[in-house]
Amino acid sequence: MRKLFPPDLLARDGRFTRVNNADRFNDPRGARGVAGGRPGKKGNNRLTPDLPEAPDAARTLMHGIFVGEIQALEGAGRTCWDFETGKGSDEAPFELKLDMARQCWDEARHCEISVKLSDWMGTELGEFGESAFLYEAACNPDPVLRLTGVNRALEGLAIDVFTTMKDFGDIAGDPVLEFCEDWMLADEVTHVKMGSDWLRRLTADDPERRANALEFQRVVDKLFSFGGLRGETDENPIKLARRFRELAGFTDVEIDDISNVSEEATREAAATGARG
Amino acid sequence: MASVTVTPDEWQYVAFDSARIAAVAEKLLGETGLDVDLKIEVDETTPLGRVSMTSLQPLVVAVESGAFEDAKRPRQLSEVAVADVLGRLLHRCRDRLDPAFGEPPPDAALTLQQSTAWDAYAVGRCARLGYPVQRQRRLYHFRNRHGFNDVADQAFARLWEAQGLTWADLEAVCQETDAARSASVG
Amino acid sequence: MADPKKPRPAFAPWDTRELPGSFTVEETAVRVGNYKWIEMKLFEVLGGWIATVPELDVKLRLGTHCYHHAWHAELFHKRLPELREMNPERLTLPANDELVAFVDAMTAPEGQGETIEKLVGVYRVLIPHKIAAYTFHLNNTSTITDAPTIRTLKLVLQDEFDDWRDGEMMIQSLIETPEEVDRAARHQASLEKLMLAAGGIAGPGSIGNPYALQEATA
Ligand SMILES: [Fe+2]
Ligand SMILES: [Fe+2]
Repeated sequence: MRKLFPPDLLARDGRFTRVNNADRFNDPRGARGVAGGRPGKKGNNRLTPDLPEAPDAARTLMHGIFVGEIQALEGAGRTCWDFETGKGSDEAPFELKLDMARQCWDEARHCEISVKLSDWMGTELGEFGESAFLYEAACNPDPVLRLTGVNRALEGLAIDVFTTMKDFGDIAGDPVLEFCEDWMLADEVTHVKMGSDWLRRLTADDPERRANALEFQRVVDKLFSFGGLRGETDENPIKLARRFRELAGFTDVEIDDISNVSEEATREAAATGARG
Repeated sequence: MASVTVTPDEWQYVAFDSARIAAVAEKLLGETGLDVDLKIEVDETTPLGRVSMTSLQPLVVAVESGAFEDAKRPRQLSEVAVADVLGRLLHRCRDRLDPAFGEPPPDAALTLQQSTAWDAYAVGRCARLGYPVQRQRRLYHFRNRHGFNDVADQAFARLWEAQGLTWADLEAVCQETDAARSASVG
Repeated sequence: MADPKKPRPAFAPWDTRELPGSFTVEETAVRVGNYKWIEMKLFEVLGGWIATVPELDVKLRLGTHCYHHAWHAELFHKRLPELREMNPERLTLPANDELVAFVDAMTAPEGQGETIEKLVGVYRVLIPHKIAAYTFHLNNTSTITDAPTIRTLKLVLQDEFDDWRDGEMMIQSLIETPEEVDRAARHQASLEKLMLAAGGIAGPGSIGNPYALQEATA
């Protein structure tokens, strides 16, 4: 089996359909909102149960999370395989691989949880198209960049999403949703912390590598703040979860930085929305 | 015979086909027993999926393009989605045009509970016409509005199977689930 | 209760553990290093295969099993310094080149249509050989001096049995035609031959030698 497995070859059964990112980003109709609102729209856009289309919006979001879990599983698995074991810059230390294997187990459970949750919410597996965004970030040839792009940026977003969805379940009185989100949230905090710890450990004596990794994280954070998805105001459907991010090893300055990136994306979405 | 008009006729933002949308709508008009002209105005400039009836007589429906879109293939038309959206809406229009149904408030004045109760009744009828509707999805939507409890589930099951309901029946269901929600809170 | 001051033996009447074992400290360390190496190769390939397998249930099981074997590697890794090997990497080795050839062949399948080959290599060849070697070690090491290795082997074996059953059931559920039975058997036979050449996951003597007495007296 080769090292570095390309995203377009990710194996899926016949229920799943791949949507390519270019099509999604170049949609002349603009971005789609998460909570059924126009991206960048002024006013309250937070994904809460009182919005008329909220249950369907939650369902759609959960399917996105489900395929994200599959890709997180695949990405963590590939990091076990793609690198020789060692301390060189193109290698992965034994303990890092152990963490990735642990993450495989966790993501496999998240997939299982997501499948049960899909049944509960009335979503068919593969009902929505799948983009390979998350896995693409997991293909970086530098293991440190993989961990910053996936564990810190994308799983950091997962912390924000799970927190929002947990609150959604709580307000809607949906015991299953709240239960599932809370357990997944606990695991994601662990995964983000793995990313933070490995970033610091592996780049302790290599400021350039650290800068590259943080820049890569910023790019991924910006991409996923697309359309003002995530931020600290009610205009953003998904709320930046400060407290859980602290637990996951983010400093205040780093959280402020993500908040700024998100704000930038929200402003850009508002500008595009105003043109459209 | 009732006619269906779909606008726009030429599509710039999405790869939709007005004739295919009209064909699904015409079939549904016949199946729901609606002998009226229908105008479907699609806003293809947005990927969002909101749908509303903007006029009852004449019957005009406003649809954002995301509602008719294939969820797996951006900008492509899905006839299943068209039937899902219009089937629900046309059943509700049929109820509104039926004097025996009663006098529901305008759509904008409906509570979320009333709207989902009516949807359950409408989509249940689509299911019996043989359309591939998602019962669990509708139940989930219903639970979000009427409560995650047995009373709500039983009410949903009755609505789904029902025929010949009136607005008063739907209101009674809302009162019943409301009482159950209040009891569980208290 | 009897008088608490009344002496009791260190070994209760039902505790029949004995001092002698078949392995010295050095021999144990070498075997444990071999175990860590093979567990690493296994968890790495299970992780790598996840992206290549379209069957959803198999994909998720591989993710779960990947961690089991990583944990085994960690347990063996931690045992090495306790066996006087302060640089565990030094003993994290394949038993021989033939075992490397086996692992290369086992990890070769990549295609989406090769799930049967992937699973057969792991669950019909490698894991049965691991169970055999670990069981031999468990039953032959000193039950007193090497109790920590025994504890590790017992924990590991429990996973191996569970995972073997999972894997075997996945294989049975994937095989639907006589041709696929042949396919699985062919792949198993070719890998078994490589494992035969290696002599097991710890090399010749992985499960002892039943003819040793005969050979000694001949
Ligand atoms: Fe996850
Ligand atoms: Fe994760």
